Amino acid sequence: MSVARAGIVLCGGRSSRMGRAKAWLPWFDGRTLIEHVVERIRPAVDEVLVVTSVALDLPALDARVVRDREPERGPLAGLRDGLAATSAAHAFVTATDAPFLTTEYVDGMLSRRAACAPVEEGHVQVLSAVYPGEGAAVAERLLEEGRGRPRDLLEALDYEALDANDPALASAPWKGFNTPDAYLDAVRGEDPDARCRIEFLGRAALASKSPNLEVPVGTLGDVLAQAARACDLDLDLVEGEQVARGHLVSLGGRDLVRDLSLPVGPDERISVLDAQAGG
Amino acid sequence: MSGIHGRYLRIDLSRGTSEHVAIPESVSRRLLGGVGLGTWLLLRESTPGFDPLSAEAPLVFAFSPLVGTGLTTSAKFAVVAKSPLTGFVCDALASSHFAIAGKRMGIDAIVVKGACETPSEWVRGVLRPTASWGRSAAETTSVLGGEGRVAAIGVAGEQLVRFATISADGRHAGRGGLGAVMGAKRLKAIVVAGELETPIADRTALEARADRLRARAAGPETAKYRELGTVGNLLAFDRVGALPTRNFQTSHFEGAEKLAAERWRGERAHRRAACAHCTIGCEQRYASRPGGAADVRIEYESQFALGPLVGVADPDAVLASSARCDALGLDTISAGATLAFSMECGERGWLEGAPAFGDDLLPWLDRIATRDGLGDRLAEGSLRLAREIGDEAVGIAPQVKGLEMPGYEPRALQTMALGLAVSSRGADHNRSSAYEADFSEEVDRMHGDARSVAAAVAAEERAAILDSLVLCKFVRGAMGDLFEESAAILSDLTGEAWSADGVETVAKRIVDLRRLGNEREGWQPADDSLPKRFLEEPIPGGPAVGARLPAERLRDLIRSYYLERGYDESGRISSDRRTAFESELGLDLTGPASGGADDA
Ligand code: SF4
Repeated sequence: MSVARAGIVLCGGRSSRMGRAKAWLPWFDGRTLIEHVVERIRPAVDEVLVVTSVALDLPALDARVVRDREPERGPLAGLRDGLAATSAAHAFVTATDAPFLTTEYVDGMLSRRAACAPVEEGHVQVLSAVYPGEGAAVAERLLEEGRGRPRDLLEALDYEALDANDPALASAPWKGFNTPDAYLDAVRGEDPDARCRIEFLGRAALASKSPNLEVPVGTLGDVLAQAARACDLDLDLVEGEQVARGHLVSLGGRDLVRDLSLPVGPDERISVLDAQAGG
Repeated sequence: MSGIHGRYLRIDLSRGTSEHVAIPESVSRRLLGGVGLGTWLLLRESTPGFDPLSAEAPLVFAFSPLVGTGLTTSAKFAVVAKSPLTGFVCDALASSHFAIAGKRMGIDAIVVKGACETPSEWVRGVLRPTASWGRSAAETTSVLGGEGRVAAIGVAGEQLVRFATISADGRHAGRGGLGAVMGAKRLKAIVVAGELETPIADRTALEARADRLRARAAGPETAKYRELGTVGNLLAFDRVGALPTRNFQTSHFEGAEKLAAERWRGERAHRRAACAHCTIGCEQRYASRPGGAADVRIEYESQFALGPLVGVADPDAVLASSARCDALGLDTISAGATLAFSMECGERGWLEGAPAFGDDLLPWLDRIATRDGLGDRLAEGSLRLAREIGDEAVGIAPQVKGLEMPGYEPRALQTMALGLAVSSRGADHNRSSAYEADFSEEVDRMHGDARSVAAAVAAEERAAILDSLVLCKFVRGAMGDLFEESAAILSDLTGEAWSADGVETVAKRIVDLRRLGNEREGWQPADDSLPKRFLEEPIPGGPAVGARLPAERLRDLIRSYYLERGYDESGRISSDRRTAFESELGLDLTGPASGGADDA
């Protein structure tokens, strides 16, 4: 089936600065960031492709999942794989951490029917840009030549630079985040009262007055401290920068962690478990 | 060498005789006791390709060097036989005074061969007709308990149910159907008693070591087991999408909350108990219904298999099913998993008259144990039933090598997935314990990789040592470096110098010996795998939604595991190494199926 417009979401793996896979970060109403971004793009395009490495499973999405063949070569290789997988004349390409994307913005960008990207203070927003379908072959050539940046591809495609000061772009819908603090700021910007849910299981449940609580979002350290205070927890859950030995925390039921600096997002359910799982 | 008696008792039921047979010290040094010694005795006392339910099949009760030392959690014995469920080497451990009393007979093991003409019991050297046939193991024990310590089978063992257990002091050598091996011999019970103390080389040093271990075993590393027991797993596993539900169709159970021990605490009477000579005491007993006395022993594996796996969310029903399995002598995991499998087959229209998810299990457990109606086919286990139904059914039968899977969803716990696939006993959580890594930050539990392989290998070796010393898995957290501490214990006990490296070598040897035993009995590379469902379907919902274990990933993990263990690409041990094992251990390991490929 030939299509005119595609949306491509590049899903990196676990982000080292964030400590968690961005695709799975919560973004309100029980949805993950990837679900939210796909929902925003979907009405503006004929199909959405999500490019991901094998090391990342995804929730069910209204999108086609394309495997990033060479994740170690960076975003241009993923972009190439995404473009190669669609027959669309033009594709809007974004990263996962773009919660402020709007359908109107994606629609407006694709209506230009040409390679284009916003430029903000000299920075080309390569992951909030439109690439023509034939860009796959050009990307392949650039990768062979050792030029591995998406910006090289935009330049090779003679892209149109859009002034980010244009009122239509004033909301900077490409804004993303790379650190727990930046993510939590974005969450609080959206809802200053954003909360997460914490559940004490096992020994922690026996030691707490109420095993289910809601507390404001924050780093895991903040969240645990608030919850422990709120329920008079008779157990030490923290040891330096880590969750105390003998315990583990599950974030959203997926990551099992002990690092207190990780972010806990809106409506996210975290469970404090006993680490000994023998049975 | 102190710590052992250097001989075993061979009982010939066909002739009604028994004799002492020497165990070379070199064998005890190389394999210790428990599962190590037991495997050696099984292979030595049998010919390749024997029928596990035949008279010639050996049934081994192996004690261990630590039995009788007073070390916490050491009063355990291994039952070793060829499993009627898998056709491979099987060992099952149980804790009880049976181990202590057996070893006091001045022996390191009992090997039972032959078969009785009529139902009998062996009581301290005397083989006599039994009046307990048709009774539960607990009833049998109360009849015979005055004469010594008892190991007995229930009705399921008598009826050769392929997942029947052997019970002692209310604990069970549960997995692999070893109760059917005993039943095939028409042996209801073995009763042991004796006066001989275990010789200890340096009693003062060992006692001091035992005191220190006991103190550590009262610390935070075992707190979960003391405070909640293994039943504390259920809600946690549910919350991380690892709780097998409705025959492994999904990994999150909507009724988990009702089955959670954390919630039971306020609702029903509860008390803790402990195995013989254990200071941890992880055993949890709950009232079978609110208002009753705390009389039902429940473990996570029973709770998951008789609850979420069969779609049952009523705690009274789960506790009642667990108690019924114990009374009948059924392995709770295999019983629950075989029923769950039949339920899915029923839903798909493949099995007429099958129970439905959520049904009352009690009549079904009775039918299985007595081989009544469809119960007769269920008593054969999930793989045999699946083969009768067809290939598609085999793909959803929850088993590896014929042994039903424990309560760990392999797609969401991929180190465990590898452990389950390669384990010599079949789908097994105790000989591998690879889940330990999945419940840590050591690996990415949803994407098995090289770290998972290293963790699975290490976990298997730790288990091999604990199961041959024998010590309980749950004391492990209280031991520093397991191999070093084991070496120190063995040095004090035996009077010989043991090193951590030496202990690790024993562990590797035991893992290899079991594989060689399986090869002798016809193991093929395809036996190391997981059912198709896990390799083709992602988890459809719940916290681990989307988790997949593609076939090629599992194959890569298995191949790396073989490499790490020094096996060839297909998982076989080289003929040179096999020959070395044969001469070191005085065994013939060449079986009908293992003589070909690797010799070429
Ligand atoms: S910790 Fe539990 S299973 Fe282990 S020996 Fe003690 S009571 Fe038995």
